[in-house]
Amino acid sequence: MQKLLYRLGTPVLGAGCLVMLALIVVNRNAPEALLSLFSAANLQSFHILFVSILLEAFPFIMIGVIFSALLQVFVSDETIRRFTPRHPILGIVFGGLLGIIFPLCECGMIPVIRRLIRKGMPAYIGIVYLLAGPIVNPIVFSSTYLAFRSTPELAYARMALGLAVATVIGFLLVKFLKASPLIGVHNEGSLHREGRLPVIKRGRLNKWSSTLAHASDEFFDMGKYLIIGALLTAVIQTVVDRGTIAAFAEQPLLSYLFMMVFAFILSICSTSDAFIASSFGGIFTSGPLLAFLVFGPMIDLKNMLMMLSTFKVKIVLILIALAFTLTLAGAALAEVLL
Amino acid sequence: MIHHFVRAVILAGFAFMIVYLFRTEQMTLYIAPRMELLVKLTALGLYAASVYQVYAALQARLRRHNHPHTENCGCGQSHHKSPFKNAVMYGLFIFPLLLVFLVPAGTLGSALAEKKGISFTGSETVSRSVADNKPSTAWHDQSPATQADEQPSLSPTLEQLFPYDEYTADHAKLGMELYKQSLITVPDKQFIETLTTLDLYRGALLGKEVEISGFVYREEEMGSGKMAVSRFAMNCCSADALPYGLMTLWPKAGHYAEDEWVTVRGKLTLTQYGENEIIAIEAIKVERIPAPESPYVYPDLEFGL
Repeated sequence: MQKLLYRLGTPVLGAGCLVMLALIVVNRNAPEALLSLFSAANLQSFHILFVSILLEAFPFIMIGVIFSALLQVFVSDETIRRFTPRHPILGIVFGGLLGIIFPLCECGMIPVIRRLIRKGMPAYIGIVYLLAGPIVNPIVFSSTYLAFRSTPELAYARMALGLAVATVIGFLLVKFLKASPLIGVHNEGSLHREGRLPVIKRGRLNKWSSTLAHASDEFFDMGKYLIIGALLTAVIQTVVDRGTIAAFAEQPLLSYLFMMVFAFILSICSTSDAFIASSFGGIFTSGPLLAFLVFGPMIDLKNMLMMLSTFKVKIVLILIALAFTLTLAGAALAEVLL
Repeated sequence: MIHHFVRAVILAGFAFMIVYLFRTEQMTLYIAPRMELLVKLTALGLYAASVYQVYAALQARLRRHNHPHTENCGCGQSHHKSPFKNAVMYGLFIFPLLLVFLVPAGTLGSALAEKKGISFTGSETVSRSVADNKPSTAWHDQSPATQADEQPSLSPTLEQLFPYDEYTADHAKLGMELYKQSLITVPDKQFIETLTTLDLYRGALLGKEVEISGFVYREEEMGSGKMAVSRFAMNCCSADALPYGLMTLWPKAGHYAEDEWVTVRGKLTLTQYGENEIIAIEAIKVERIPAPESPYVYPDLEFGL
């Protein structure tokens, strides 16, 4: 019970602070804004947004948990070890480009990565994949390219910066990450479950049924974070007024911060966020847009909650800080170069 | 065992929710058509998982008859969680189900359009500077005489009316097509593209008759003689939907309630909005219509390909 409070408390508190911050930014007093959520029109918006985020994420979570369960049941640890490069540099490049072969969406990735790390893949490769995968993949490239028809260099810059940020974080992890970033046996049931796997008789039918068992366990594991994330995202989208915040566009640093915070709370899939970014094309320059396009897929509200289900709080916070700083610096640099 | 049953019910609930939304044709309110197949497949997966949970529950029950209850009984991970924690977790999953089955969904309307910020100029990435600058240079570079010599047909003037660079070529092409029509109907299929073209080539298309359907959106500053005819454009799901609209000048605009669906016909003109001059319709005819089956429009991904 205490653990639950501790585990859920931090993110919920963080989200609460964000909402307050957003309200302060919008220059409205909190009670009034929160009350406005309960007007009929807003409840309707909330309903549609909340359910639509769930419906959109379900297929990808499904693909993720099925893929992860198949890995668990059919691919041995030795195979995974054999296929992952031993040298850190190769490993980081491998992790960064894995998204091209397995273009999973960020929601589907976390169960797969957790599985791969448990099966002996070095954690830094998994994290590099987690960060770069939702950006450096063909589906996201083509949607970004479509959304920014008139400035295709932004699509290339997105790929490059995404890969660069993930690579730098990868090197830092190789250097400094010694302990396992995963939450230990005691906090989650998964390891314990694996421990008793051998008890089940081996057979083809049993393999498939244990695939289903793993998949549905993980669906519930990930699902609760997805639902909380979708809930918060829908509330924020319903309550916070985007128009008034756009006043930030005039101050360079604030425009970056705004676009990154916006990407964080919006929590939409990296395959469709480019279209949102392009709607800001007239207001923001390419730097903040790039920051939005790179930071959003790496870290957002929904996926932060899902990361917290798998990684230690400290690691998640460090990853957020690193991704934030590096994206900010990289996007500002790109603005000068482009 | 009870966990398996609860899980089976929840998984089946989600599968039925998806089927229900398709059956009642509400799915279009939530996600874009290109996502539909994926969501249908998800329903199948959820259903399979649900059936498995029932099977696992029965098996656990069977096993409990033979063996005492142990850690290795295979009945799920939930032994050591408190009932309270489980209740909260399952409650989370049941909440969206209740929402869908018990609360009727409307469509996104003015309230959210105001929050998201409506666009009156179509797509923001295609900048008008190209179209604005190019004609002047084109006019100066080519003297009328050389044009007449090289291409005696009507097309040179058309080309000059619709200057383009590599990024606006498709809009220029659409613009030329629109130019030839006596009445430009803004279609659902290329809603944003058509609005963008109208804005991009406003110089050439000003005065043309335009027809557009959408919901009424109004801001206080607009006053009583203006309203915007708007649609939400969706890419994947409603969370990424953005409102696009065309300003309408109509003395009796105040008679129409927000979110009411209308078809407006009128002449393309310009009006002041904040600090900008935007395109607008000088309405001749405004008609109330029932809300369409698909209230959203979608960007045409094949546009210009």
